[in-house]
Amino acid sequence: MKLLVIEDEAELAASIAGYLTDYTCETAATFTQALEKIEMFTYDCILLDLTLPGGDGLRLLDLLKKEKRNDGIIIISARNAMEDKITGLTNGADDYIAKPFHLPELAARVYSVIRRKQFSSANVVEQHEVKIDLLSKKVFVEGTEVPLTKKELDLLLYFIGNKNKVISKGALAEHLSGDMADMLDSHAFVYAHIKNLKRKLTEAGYGNYLKNVYGTGYKWEI
Amino acid sequence: MKKLLDRNLKAFLLYALVVFLASVPAYFLIVDFIWRTELHEHNEIVAQRAKENFQRLSGDTAALNASIDAWNRIQPETDIVPVNAMDEDSVYTVYRYSSISGHEELDRFHGLISYFTAGGQAYKMTVETNIEESYETIAAITAVTALFFLLLLAGFLLLNKKLSKRLWAPFHETVGKLKAYDLKSQSQIPLPQTDIIEFESLHAGIRKLISGNIAAYREQKEFTENASHELQTPLAIVQSKLDLFLQTEGLTEEQSGIIEAANHSLSRVSRINRNLVLLAKIENGQFASEETVELTGAVKELTEVMEDFLTEKQIRLELDAPGACKVNGNAALVEILLTNLLMNAIRHTPAGGEMRIVINNGSVSIANSGTSPLPEDKLFKRFSSAAAHTTGTGLGLAIVRQICQLYGWQVGYGFRDGMHQFTVGFNRGKEE
Repeated sequence: MKLLVIEDEAELAASIAGYLTDYTCETAATFTQALEKIEMFTYDCILLDLTLPGGDGLRLLDLLKKEKRNDGIIIISARNAMEDKITGLTNGADDYIAKPFHLPELAARVYSVIRRKQFSSANVVEQHEVKIDLLSKKVFVEGTEVPLTKKELDLLLYFIGNKNKVISKGALAEHLSGDMADMLDSHAFVYAHIKNLKRKLTEAGYGNYLKNVYGTGYKWEI
Repeated sequence: MKKLLDRNLKAFLLYALVVFLASVPAYFLIVDFIWRTELHEHNEIVAQRAKENFQRLSGDTAALNASIDAWNRIQPETDIVPVNAMDEDSVYTVYRYSSISGHEELDRFHGLISYFTAGGQAYKMTVETNIEESYETIAAITAVTALFFLLLLAGFLLLNKKLSKRLWAPFHETVGKLKAYDLKSQSQIPLPQTDIIEFESLHAGIRKLISGNIAAYREQKEFTENASHELQTPLAIVQSKLDLFLQTEGLTEEQSGIIEAANHSLSRVSRINRNLVLLAKIENGQFASEETVELTGAVKELTEVMEDFLTEKQIRLELDAPGACKVNGNAALVEILLTNLLMNAIRHTPAGGEMRIVINNGSVSIANSGTSPLPEDKLFKRFSSAAAHTTGTGLGLAIVRQICQLYGWQVGYGFRDGMHQFTVGFNRGKEE
């Protein structure tokens, strides 16, 4: 799977590429570079920073839509402006993420965008014995349905989108509650949800892929 | 406090009083001087004419003596007596009872003593004329002066009253405009036109002050905005590096704990930053779109999202929404307003405490158990958290107030029955 990271901050682009190791990442640091790459290749997902030297990222978005390209597009913006978000999404971006963000959050979204783009008809995620039907929001382990809450399902997808990565509790808390996460002192609720998810999956007989690491983080190990 | 014109008037009146008082002796001296001069002249004319007449009779001693005798009898205020020698003329003023008229009071007389010879005999002639008494003159002058002073006083008071209304009208208008001025509007005050130098110079001063303030305000706002924007990218880099660092093979539990702690603080910085950007955007009016938001639904949705926090702190939540409450505003801002108030309540409720949300037509109140009242004046200020140990950004309530200001809603705080209570009234008090 191929990704294009259009980001003028070299360090951030390097971090993204360094984290999304499941994909082949290419980077572009300027508007012109990005334009060249987009014109030459197609990507499974394009991460698009809106503030670019040499031009507005929204123009690239317009261009992609005009050519009816099927590349998934996630806008990464420091502008964090409501208008940017709305313009971006109405102009055909698949998702929007504001700086600063957690890399696992970005990975989960990339995973979700690619999955939607590629399996638009049969929306089923399978990983070993775990099967998730995204349309009916049902989870099966070896054919048996596991009743999960909305948040547990959300977490499961997040882990699958970040397989073999260590995810901090903070990132999980932010994913589950957005801005509200760090308004509270403890992230105990994260632990509670994960415990429940793990218990339900274990009871159904999955291969114990979700592991607690270093005391503070989690990892979906495949 | 006194009115400026009254103070002015007092000084003027005191001065006028002094001048009038000083004028009384002056008038008297002048009038008296004129009196005396005129009477002196009069006496001299009388004496001169008499002398000439007597001298014409010089040849006939008997006729002369008869005439002098007759004169002395007919003219009581004059007296001609034979003397041994001639002397210099002299004048005098004397108080005495009048020989005629039956006056009971002392009268004042101005007299001339003159000498002449007739028929070889020297005579002394005294001519007296009644002159107005000094005290009567003084009394009359004082009375007239007092009358004029009273007229002046009455006139001044009346004029002062009328003038203070008219003259100060532009000033009062200016003061009213200044009182109503809000720097956040970032516009000059439309000051009234005036052709008074003092007011114009006041207006020039105010205009200069305001444009200086607007510039400073704008600069400060832009600074916050720019600083926050500039911070977002480095924050994103640090965040990504920490996430990446966590992937390193063979991290110890201690190292991973350090990363987690750094993460925790970093996300707080990020949130403060996001909130500052948000505040700047609200101030700049960048949330223009308005729609009708149904509050009960919005609150229910939010409390569902917050369920985790409620469970974690074992907070009992009571939602009382007897009627629908619809408000007009930007949906995102209304959500932020509610989120901040709700999270604020959750954060400050002690574990096992209680929260009560009441939604009425036109207002929402969110109450949570607490120990003692909070200082209301500080609550809504930026970075002035009432609680010492807090994980908040110190901006939540400032944002609430900013949103309320934007739409002219009223937000208030109260403490009763051991509950902190924040209430937002959605009836637009004033359009801004």
